[in-house]
Amino acid sequence: MRLVRRLVVVAGLGLTAISLAGLPALAQKRGGTLVQITQPEPPTLGSYVSTANPVGQVASKIYDGLLEYDFDLKPLPSLAESWTVAEDGKTVTFKLRAGVKFHDGKPFTSADVQYTFMDVLKKVHPRGINTFAEVTAVETPDPQTAIFRLNRPAPYMMAALSGYESPILPKHVFSQGDIRTHQNANSPVGTGPFKFVEWRRGEFVRLDRNADYWKPGLPYLDRIVVRFIGDTGTRAAALEKGEAHIAGFGAVPYNDVKKLEKLPNIQIVTKGYEMLSPVVELMFNTKKAPFDNAKVRQAISYAIDRKFVIDNIWFGFGKPTNGPISSNFAPTGLYSADVTNYNVPDGVERANKLLDEAGFPRKADGIRFEITHDITPYGEEWRRFGEYTQQALAKIGIKANLRYEDVATWLKRIYTDYDYDVSSNHLFNLADPVLGVHRAFHSRFIRPGTVFVNGVRWSTPQTDELMDRATIEPDAKKRAALYAEVQKIVVDQAPLAWTHEISFATVLDKRYRDVIVSPLGLFSSFDRAWRE
Amino acid sequence: MRGLRLISFIMTRLLQAIPVVLGVVVLNFLLLQLAPGDAATVLAGEAGGAPPEYVEQLRARFGLDKPVLVQLGLYLKNILLLDLGFSFRNNAPVLGLILDRLWPTLLLMGATLVVSVGGGVMLGVIAALGVRTWRDHLISVAAVIAYATPLFWIGLMLILVFSIRLDWFPTSGMEDVVAFHEGWARVADIAHHLVLPTITLSLFYLALYTRLMRATVLEQRGAEYATTARAKGLTERTITLRHVLRNALLPVITMAGVQVGALLGGSVVVETVFAWPGLGQLAYQSLFARDFNLLLGIFFLSACLVVIVNIIVDVVYVLLDPRIRVGGKA
Repeated sequence: MRLVRRLVVVAGLGLTAISLAGLPALAQKRGGTLVQITQPEPPTLGSYVSTANPVGQVASKIYDGLLEYDFDLKPLPSLAESWTVAEDGKTVTFKLRAGVKFHDGKPFTSADVQYTFMDVLKKVHPRGINTFAEVTAVETPDPQTAIFRLNRPAPYMMAALSGYESPILPKHVFSQGDIRTHQNANSPVGTGPFKFVEWRRGEFVRLDRNADYWKPGLPYLDRIVVRFIGDTGTRAAALEKGEAHIAGFGAVPYNDVKKLEKLPNIQIVTKGYEMLSPVVELMFNTKKAPFDNAKVRQAISYAIDRKFVIDNIWFGFGKPTNGPISSNFAPTGLYSADVTNYNVPDGVERANKLLDEAGFPRKADGIRFEITHDITPYGEEWRRFGEYTQQALAKIGIKANLRYEDVATWLKRIYTDYDYDVSSNHLFNLADPVLGVHRAFHSRFIRPGTVFVNGVRWSTPQTDELMDRATIEPDAKKRAALYAEVQKIVVDQAPLAWTHEISFATVLDKRYRDVIVSPLGLFSSFDRAWRE
Repeated sequence: MRGLRLISFIMTRLLQAIPVVLGVVVLNFLLLQLAPGDAATVLAGEAGGAPPEYVEQLRARFGLDKPVLVQLGLYLKNILLLDLGFSFRNNAPVLGLILDRLWPTLLLMGATLVVSVGGGVMLGVIAALGVRTWRDHLISVAAVIAYATPLFWIGLMLILVFSIRLDWFPTSGMEDVVAFHEGWARVADIAHHLVLPTITLSLFYLALYTRLMRATVLEQRGAEYATTARAKGLTERTITLRHVLRNALLPVITMAGVQVGALLGGSVVVETVFAWPGLGQLAYQSLFARDFNLLLGIFFLSACLVVIVNIIVDVVYVLLDPRIRVGGKA
């Protein structure tokens, strides 16, 4: 009897200790498999050589980064327990977590950090080549310290250290052989919450729980299986039936999202894309008449009814905008609303007036001039956006003929041959304007053959200089002021017409909790996700 | 004697096939050069953009910086050594990628052939036996409908009815990825997943064979040997099953030989709808990714398969109809 009472007291103390530790009221449970639909199937799992969207959706469960981020894009500790940026911004010191093991059991040390940044990300990562261009050395005074030496300050670098953007690789595995064709690309070894088990091509990737994960008690799930289903209708059916539990990034088209939303077992989440922030833009070939005339570009921007586009083509999943930087950067101060507003009720009248002024009067048939509009080959809503653009332009006397080609052909036309009049695209802002925004209109990015850069061939010394200064400005306030000026100029000059920010919709099975807990959404590790 | 002739026939046909297959390879290679854009651009595009140094690195690695004829020469040399090359996009050898997908393809193809040929022959005979009765009309109307309905629509409807509403079959995939069954349970699981895609893919050919079989049976029953049999006093049923069927099968076998080729390519839709990990999807994806090594590998394998099936069909002819001789001088 006495023994029993004692046990109860002990148990009570234990419970108090747990609740003091700050666990939420809902008790997380261990176990369960999460089936994620990723579309299309990734070409590789080497997220250090490919930033393709599906690669990140899988590899982010396997690799950790030095940092994680909260929804305000503030850095949080991960493999780095703490960090200090020197006054001049040219030295960044990371204190690394001790006792972390890779999936093969070998310890994680500063040598792995040095190897990852100097030998891999700086050399072969498509974005890392730019992001870490200023890093001259990573010093490793001891296994738990990594010191980054920079040529010039690179404030944007601190936003690019997630496990998705900059995965930390085991040096002992990847340093042997050519990193570009390394055999472990497709059998990855990381420190993340899930271990790679099997990739059956055309079917699935299987990831099992890492029992030795460095976050105590995590992850909750036993397994994540990433499935590849080519047909949109079947993807929706698998989610409806509960055979699959999560799908994002447009894997389910918006019209199906609306249908699935009504089901009792499914919820729609739009959070989790804050570090990507796609902004839709109309692209003008600014080196070609009549688009070398700012008034023509402004007129077209005025002619687009943003609200109509969002409501009818993106099913309400979007937000009107005028400028290149997403409002998701409002917490960091880099977003500015002080720009020309093209989203006005009398847009069509203004557009007609601008075109008259520009010297393109309507002819007898009501048409001012004829152009070709290249539709973005990324699926249904882009096709409809192209058709809408055709109608909107007809209202202001521009006859647009539509052209639809496959991705490779279209990329070549826009970014290599510049053989187009008007097209559309959506560029991700990514974690910082230096990484995601400069490429669209800085003259350094007029590079034939390189895709998703300055395909409009916009170039002014003024905007280039402002962006160059913002790149290395360590003071957040001054940096924000520089970007405010950039936004004002490019929105007025309209080399591109930014129309709206897209909200991707993640379809999630309600039985799964705490899945989307980071601004990287499906690109995060799911270590805290659990099943009811 | 007949066995020897058969073997020498097969050997000759195999030798004759080599230039045919090589011709297919060269033609495909040159045709693919007409497609704008290359693998490096697509990879960079998927990555959301990349610096030009990176794209050039990729091109050099893929061998795309060499002149087309040099590329073709290298490719032909490798093919003759039975080396299908490397898929840079998938970071894996082409042969391995294809072999991984081959058995799901063969499984689906085999099941479809059995269902469509078996069902088509049976329904065709039933319709012919009861010509212009309600059975014949029912079968003929159903065949026309099945013949005319688009595959993807049938697939999605089957999923909607038998998977979501009735919950009899899984929506897609080849096996249960939550349970990961093993042994016989896995075999049963795969068979369970195979049902809907097989039905979908079979329907079109089932309809085709039904109509073909009905027509040939009717035609053959008017032939002189059938009249002779009738004069002997045999029942219509015996005449059809013992004498007519064998002769009526020949056109169906010819069609089935053609179907095998079409199944390899034509199953893309069904593979996509049911997320079946077959070759069709692989070919489709590699085309859009401009992964030409992989695509040429699939074409090469398909060409080989079609050649082999044609030889098999010819051999089956001989077995079905002793009047047909192989490798004859005339």
